[in-house]
Amino acid sequence: MTDLTTATPRLRAGRNSREALMRFAFFLLVLAVFVIFAILRPTFVTPGNIHGMLMSASIGGLMFLGLTWLIAAGEIDVSFMSVAALSNMVVAGLVLNGAGWGLAALGGLGAGIVFGLLNATLVAVLRLPALVITIATGALAASIAAAIGLGTSIALTGTGFVGQLLDLRIGVLPLIAVIVGALYAASWFVQERLTFGHYIYAMEQNRAAVVEAGVPVNRMLFLLFVLSGTVSSLAGVLLAANLSSGQPYLGASYFLDGLTAVLLGGMALKLGKPNVIGTLTATIFLIGLLNGAALLGWTDSERQIVRGSLLLIGVGLVVFARTRRKA
Amino acid sequence: MISRPLALRLLAFAALVALIGLAFWSQSAAFASTGNLRSLMRHMSVQGLAALGLTFVIVVRHFDLSFPGVASMGAMTLGWLIAAGMPLPVAIGGGLAVGLAFGLVNGFAVARLGLPDIVTTIGTGGLAIGFSYFYSNGTSISQNFFMSGILDLNDRKIAGLDMPFAILMGAALVGAILLHASRLGAGFYATGQNTVSARFSGVPTRRLIVVAFALSGIMACLAITLLVASSGAANVTAGNQLLMPAFAAVYLGAALFGRPSIGATLAGTLLMSMMLNGFTLLAIPYYYSDAIVSTVLITAIAIFDPRVSALLRRGAPRRKGEPV
Repeated sequence: MTDLTTATPRLRAGRNSREALMRFAFFLLVLAVFVIFAILRPTFVTPGNIHGMLMSASIGGLMFLGLTWLIAAGEIDVSFMSVAALSNMVVAGLVLNGAGWGLAALGGLGAGIVFGLLNATLVAVLRLPALVITIATGALAASIAAAIGLGTSIALTGTGFVGQLLDLRIGVLPLIAVIVGALYAASWFVQERLTFGHYIYAMEQNRAAVVEAGVPVNRMLFLLFVLSGTVSSLAGVLLAANLSSGQPYLGASYFLDGLTAVLLGGMALKLGKPNVIGTLTATIFLIGLLNGAALLGWTDSERQIVRGSLLLIGVGLVVFARTRRKA
Repeated sequence: MISRPLALRLLAFAALVALIGLAFWSQSAAFASTGNLRSLMRHMSVQGLAALGLTFVIVVRHFDLSFPGVASMGAMTLGWLIAAGMPLPVAIGGGLAVGLAFGLVNGFAVARLGLPDIVTTIGTGGLAIGFSYFYSNGTSISQNFFMSGILDLNDRKIAGLDMPFAILMGAALVGAILLHASRLGAGFYATGQNTVSARFSGVPTRRLIVVAFALSGIMACLAITLLVASSGAANVTAGNQLLMPAFAAVYLGAALFGRPSIGATLAGTLLMSMMLNGFTLLAIPYYYSDAIVSTVLITAIAIFDPRVSALLRRGAPRRKGEPV
């Protein structure tokens, strides 16, 4: 039906200038909003603030990378933020009990991989419904995270080598942003230039057809869930050093942001198909928006409403773009 | 239609209840005391009402993830109206109206605009949480609660039953008539099984989906009203504790009885409440409760899934290239 569009996006962009505008409208919106913030509140563009925003965007971007591909493949994972919270608490718990940061980081990563494998086994191998299963595994991860800290957060005195890594910077650019940027560049290559990425898009459009074509769909889904658990836990490990504490309930704030970033980002470039460049842009947009809104003195509830509205706008745009293309 | 499989399922359910009950009773004699059974039924009332509403949405094969947020907003609306000195019926009506409004929005977005249910309801739920902060900037509301009589909703008795349990039974009766003894109910199931063929058979599928979401919103707010009545304060995180138990109750019940229904949801709620109550008696800290619920949920879905039971029977893992 619309398979051709994935293979030749540039041809179509040239053919229809209005669609081209829609493709890049999101980038223009991000630019416009940031310029307005910079004019209203000059502190928005101070090196310190930019550095902080890039740091948050890197950690968020890392967490949402696996989710992007899962949603692009027509699946869902609502456990990612709880897995990050669990890894965060595992690191904090291990460090508190005298383990070195290396061991603790491995432990946190391991917890994420275990949950990735659990999701993958239940959804890809046993073929159980992804939403309910990941709601359950997410609750399990959040529960264990809370149990590690006996219901409260764990404060850390040092941040070890992870903290040193986060402190490295090139001007206003944190080194971690460069690393996450490189990771996203590699992911872009995989999703847009390799057959693996084309299979991801195809899975969303017609799962049965992809199976008939001989693509090992289950094995790919398995990989995607493990990947989502892994990158979420990496973000959780980084957060332990960034916040110099373990926060069992940090998942809640990333939940809406993750889905919003993926869906809103899906509108950029691909008109409704989640893609990594879009996710990264939308993550930066959300971080900048919340940061700018805080500088303007918005309350938490107003920012929460903005988040919810953006998610709904993102969903609405995705559906609108798809129905128009079908017509 | 009472058939042998149903009798078998009822027997299995009774055995499960007896097994869990005995297990806790042997660990703590207080489990079977009147006081504990009454608190169990109270707990079951709150969870059950939210799960009943969700049942309708699951029957039409959709998901509602907004009801915890909507319930929080309903709780804050209720608390704010009471604190403002409104009469109790107005305050409760206001809380339920929030549920109705969000349910209608969800239903309209999903059925009319064709938006994906999961993400849309996550978005509207996020909005509801944002709005719930408006009333008091996030602090809990408890002014006027003593005077308003809302506490009676928790303390009074009707026909020997505690008020919350009586409300649950009443709601379940209405729900059962609606879903199992009316043409509308058959329409709900038909919509869930095959929306297109149901529409061509003259079932108003879109309207039924809207009704299902509206019921989910209203019931979540009714559940939270009971919770507010028992705790004596409304706060913005009140709804968070509804999500997992409601999903677990619906899916556990559906797994036991073969499909989601009012009776199945009540059965699922009873099992969940027994377990949570029992573990609380054994002094298991609160933060383990979600772990227990989710483990039960995953196990229930996995064991009762036809593909998994087929897999267990064959005793060998499936190879790639299996049919979807």
